[in-house]
Amino acid sequence: MDAQLKRGLLDVCVLAAIKDGDSYGYKIIKDLRPYIELSESTLYTILKRLETGGMLTVRSAEHEGRLRKYYHITDAGMRRIEEFRSEWAEMISVYQFVIKEEHNG
Amino acid sequence: MDKQQFLSELRNSLSGIPRDELEERLLFYSEMIDDRIEEGMSEEEAVAGIGQVGDVVNQILSEVPLSDLVKERFRPGRSLKAWEIVLIILGAPLWLPLLIAAAAVILSLYIALWAVVISLWAVEVSIWVCVPAAITLGIVCAVRGHAAAALGMFGIALFCVGFSVFFFVICVAASRGLVRLAKAAVLGLKARFARKEESK
Repeated sequence: MDAQLKRGLLDVCVLAAIKDGDSYGYKIIKDLRPYIELSESTLYTILKRLETGGMLTVRSAEHEGRLRKYYHITDAGMRRIEEFRSEWAEMISVYQFVIKEEHNG
Repeated sequence: MDKQQFLSELRNSLSGIPRDELEERLLFYSEMIDDRIEEGMSEEEAVAGIGQVGDVVNQILSEVPLSDLVKERFRPGRSLKAWEIVLIILGAPLWLPLLIAAAAVILSLYIALWAVVISLWAVEVSIWVCVPAAITLGIVCAVRGHAAAALGMFGIALFCVGFSVFFFVICVAASRGLVRLAKAAVLGLKARFARKEESK
């Protein structure tokens, strides 16, 4: 898959994983596992990129006597998901067109 | 391997990346391992789930810009004393040309490698130029009645078409190989800068 496309997809995947409530690193990996296999190193890079881009915020909270980082989606992050939905509606219609051409040809 | 071993190996291999970033990454892996253990894995399993230290190091290095590694490497641990600064300035006529020469050698090696690839592509282009030239010459020969020469020219044109396809494959392979080599060289260079043996 094209690297640029994949990066965009992964960003939205991680945003979607924290859309319905704050989450932490390992839970994000587990939640996404049925759909996409993410390594810890890859996740770190994505989270960092999203944080820099203002798509999420990070807070540390105590859990079982140690600190754990929780990720919270921002309005900009929510908007990114919405953008993704409209972009892909277009993508899918192009895909349908390509498939149709193949069947006819 | 237990968690402490994993983290300290990671720290050793990456001691050259900026301090804050290193600590943040180590905290991240530490949290990941703890969460796996909390879920019921043994410490060994949890660490194994993260992956091999070497792979993790390579991935991190591919993301950190080389300039950051170099900066971190040459950042002195303490401020320089006055006489050290004087010595550096007085020594400039000696070390500056040496530094420039070293950089020039590396640069010229790099250019030489690319020159090989460029010359391969030049050969490919020239073979293609031969095709219309030979055909034109063949037609001229045919019109003037030199049948044997005309046939020879058409033969050359045909040969060039075939050979250019074969040579194209070689050119592409050489270009790809060089790009891969350049990437490996950058990663190797980063690994050298990332590991600060003399630190602490």
